[in-house]
Amino acid sequence: MAKSMSLLWGAGSPPCWRVMITLEEKKLQGYRHKLLSFEKGEHKSQEVLEINPRGQLPAFKHGDIILNESVAACLYLENQFKSQGVKLIPDSPAEQALMYQRMMEGLCLTDKLNSVIYYDLFVPEEERHESALKRNKEALVTELKLWEGYLHKVEHEQHTHTHAHQCFFYLISAIKVAAGSYLAGAFSLADVIVFPNTAYAFRFGLSAGRYPKLAKYYSLLKDRPSIKASRPPQWLASPQGHEILRDL
Amino acid sequence: MAQNMTLLWGSGSAPCWRVMIALEEKNLQGYNHKLLSFDKMEHKSQEVLDINPRGQLPSFKHGDNIVNDSYAACFYLESQFKSQGNRLIPDSPAEQALMYQRMFEGLAFYEKLNAVIYYKWFVPEDERHDSALKRNKEALVTELKLWEGYLKKLGSGSYLAGKTFSLADVTVFPTVAYLFRFGLSAERYPVLGEYYALLKDRPSIKASWPPHWLENTKGQDTLKDI
Repeated sequence: MAKSMSLLWGAGSPPCWRVMITLEEKKLQGYRHKLLSFEKGEHKSQEVLEINPRGQLPAFKHGDIILNESVAACLYLENQFKSQGVKLIPDSPAEQALMYQRMMEGLCLTDKLNSVIYYDLFVPEEERHESALKRNKEALVTELKLWEGYLHKVEHEQHTHTHAHQCFFYLISAIKVAAGSYLAGAFSLADVIVFPNTAYAFRFGLSAGRYPKLAKYYSLLKDRPSIKASRPPQWLASPQGHEILRDL
Repeated sequence: MAQNMTLLWGSGSAPCWRVMIALEEKNLQGYNHKLLSFDKMEHKSQEVLDINPRGQLPSFKHGDNIVNDSYAACFYLESQFKSQGNRLIPDSPAEQALMYQRMFEGLAFYEKLNAVIYYKWFVPEDERHDSALKRNKEALVTELKLWEGYLKKLGSGSYLAGKTFSLADVTVFPTVAYLFRFGLSAERYPVLGEYYALLKDRPSIKASWPPHWLENTKGQDTLKDI
């Protein structure tokens, strides 16, 4: 199954990361993949354009089926592989409603983050205004406060076990993610879509002190196997990120 | 079922229209609804903020379940009412994938349209540039050519994901209707013109057509020359 899948991706791109998390969660490791460089303009190469006329990453294929929009790819994978791996769309109507809602709101968060982080990339020099960037930052702050509210229940429970082995006592402390720590009940597509944005925000200097719930959400999820396995390689190489969001 | 649904909406809002089309397609007529005025800033009223902290329309409730994002509401309604009305998500993997793909491309399409027709609404006067609006128009033209291509490839009479009407049409048709309302030339974009003609009289679409468009059948000509 995974062998008939291929993914062209770029490191650190939240949309690419979403697809990779989903592939891990649905036990579709073994898919073919090729890392391309945005800096070198490889997302505009013929190889990409043949799959994605928009010249964007991710560019994903399953046999002859093409899915280049990250949320589309995630929804497709969950629907096609419902019975394997982790269930990513809840059954209960209330949780399902919340999941779809937060999932789509995640795209708002993406836009508002991009409008600040990539302001200079999107707007030619002669069209830039301090007032516009200021407004984008204010909109992002409003957005982040919404998410702090959505995550108000996020926390961890701590369990301590003692284990006697020969003459030694081992203290094992297990950090378990408490109920209410995900965006819609259990881990779901809402988290798949939103977590990469959260990681991005902290990578670009967002203050954990000012956004404690988001910080906790980030630290709880960052070691989830599917997320660890698909973490952007250059983030491992250089742990220090940028500081654009430091003062928000 | 429909009786414990409430929709706060605004006339001509493409996102509101998507939800209304979905409700009609799933035979959920009879839902409670209230038309609000964007001009009078009613989308920022307490009534809306109680359901939607973003102060945006649509705002939609089913019992205690709140789903304000139009795509989220469409997914939720199709999932909860799969077995009634029309099936809106195809079973075949190829069609399903194409449906999801076009739906999400539809968000880019909608954004590029708004960047032109609502340029002055979004951008304060002292930040406007002819070069920016020109670029937005070029981006919209590129986008339109993509969609002409998508529909042309599928053949005359096709819906966005193939042979059957799906959530791709529910979410994208309102954008297409908006294009022609704002003066897009059907001569220059014949395939989109044909798609518009194919769907404009579909019962769910006719039933939810923006009321102020019926009152005033003449639209605008902002897109006449693109």
